Amino acid sequence: MKARWLIPLGVAAAPIAQVAFAAQYMTIEQAQRAAFPTADTFVATTAATDAVVGAPPGWSPKIWRASAGAQNLGWLLVDQVVGKSELITYSLALDQRGAVLAVEVLDYRESHGGEIRLAGWRKQFVGKTVADPVELNSDIKNISGATLSSRHVTEGVRRLLQMYNAALRGAGS
Amino acid sequence: MTGALFRRARPWLGTLVEIQLDGCAPDRAASVCEKAFAEIAAIHRLMSFHEAGSDLGRLHRAGARTTLRVDRRTRDVLGWALRIAAASDGCFDPTIAAQQVAWGLLPRPAGSASPDPNANWRDIELVGCAGVRLARPLWLDLGGIAKGYAVDRAMDILGDTGASQILINAGGDLRVRGASARVNVRTHAGLESSPRLELANAALATSAPSGNTGHKRESRFSAHVHGRTRRPLALRRSVSVVAERCVVADALTKVVMAASDRVALRVLRQFRAQAGVCRGNGSWTLLGAAA
Repeated sequence: MKARWLIPLGVAAAPIAQVAFAAQYMTIEQAQRAAFPTADTFVATTAATDAVVGAPPGWSPKIWRASAGAQNLGWLLVDQVVGKSELITYSLALDQRGAVLAVEVLDYRESHGGEIRLAGWRKQFVGKTVADPVELNSDIKNISGATLSSRHVTEGVRRLLQMYNAALRGAGS
Repeated sequence: MTGALFRRARPWLGTLVEIQLDGCAPDRAASVCEKAFAEIAAIHRLMSFHEAGSDLGRLHRAGARTTLRVDRRTRDVLGWALRIAAASDGCFDPTIAAQQVAWGLLPRPAGSASPDPNANWRDIELVGCAGVRLARPLWLDLGGIAKGYAVDRAMDILGDTGASQILINAGGDLRVRGASARVNVRTHAGLESSPRLELANAALATSAPSGNTGHKRESRFSAHVHGRTRRPLALRRSVSVVAERCVVADALTKVVMAASDRVALRVLRQFRAQAGVCRGNGSWTLLGAAA
C-alpha cells in the first residue's frame, strides 16, 4: 500500500476556472457489439413515446433492432438523463422478449464540477513529485467523494421499459 | 496485443461503478469486466436495504432470535462490520438504519417488526459459518461498507488480467492495483481546497457530508449517524481514508467522522490505515500518515 497526499497549501486570489468531470466509456457501436456479438445488422427505428408516464417533453430515445439474418435478437436503446449537474448517456440492451441484457453508461459529463482558482490549485502541485502538469478537465479522471447517484439512470431505464412494453413488444419478432 | 485504456461504468449499489483497465487486451478486458460486474450485481442484490429479497430484507423480516442462513459474502461483510464496530467501540455501527428510516433517508422495511431502540452491533451474532442471529429486532444498513466490499471482490476478479493498472471506483469508494493512480478528493469545501492523492495498491474512501461542491449551508446536519450516540454528525467535515481494503477504508471514514482524533488514530493504526480530515474552513489534517 502506498499513498502520497498532496494537500493544498492555501489559496491565492487568481482567475477562476470551471472544472468538470467527464468520461466516455463506450460508443454506441461498441455498446451494440457488446450486447449482441452475433448480430449482423442494427436497424434504426422509432417508437411512440406518448404512453410513457413521466417522460420529459420531446423525449425521443434512439432505438436499434439487432438481428442476425432473419432472426430478431433484441433491441438497443440509447437515452440521456440529466441530473442536478450531470448529463449521462446510457444504453439499455433488451433481448427479443424484452428481458434486460445490460445497462451501460456510455458517456458521463458534469456541467460543472466546481470552481477553482487556477493559480492556487496549480500551486499545490508545483514542485511536488507529480511529474506531469495539471491539466484541467482532462486531468480530473478519478474522484473520491463525488457521490454519483444512479437514481436518474434507474428512472430512465424504467421509462425505456414502459416504452418497450407500449410500442416495441411484439414488433419485429 | 496490449490495449489502450479500457473503461466501463454501470449503475449498481446506488451509484455508478466504474472499472478501468490499462494495458490489457480489449477482448480479455471485456470478458473479465463482465465477471467483475456480475459479482458487484450479486453483492448489490444480497445487501440492498431496499430489495425485499436481499439477505438484509430476509434478516429484517425474520426478526429477533431466529438463525438465518445468509450468503457467505453477506456474512463476510457483517464480519468486517463487527470487527470495526468493536475496534471503534461502536462509533461505527451497522445497526443505525433505524435512525435513517426515522429521518426518511431509508424506506421502512416491509413486513418487519419495529427495531428495539436500544439494539446495537452487539446484538448481531454470527452463528457457525453461514448463520446470522439477531438478539433484538434491529435494522441493518450495509450501504457504504458493502460498496467497499464489492470493490474488493471485483479487484480479486480483475487482479490477474495482466493489466498494468486496474482502478475500480464505486461512487468514491475506490481501489487501485498496479501502477499508481492520481485521485482527486472532492469535499464539502470544493475541489479547490481538496488534496490529490497518488495511490498504489491501495483503497480510498471518502465521506463528504453533501454530495456536491460548494453548498455549505444547505442544511445543518449530514445523513451520517454517530454509531453510539445515534445523533447526526456535524455537516462541515469530510474524511478520506486510505487502507489496503476498500471495505475497511469505507467503514473507517465513519469512525474518523464520529470519534475523537485519539480514538480515530488508534483504530486507523490497528487497521494500518491513514486519514485526511477536512475541517469546515477547508484546512486539512492527516491522521496516521507519515509526514
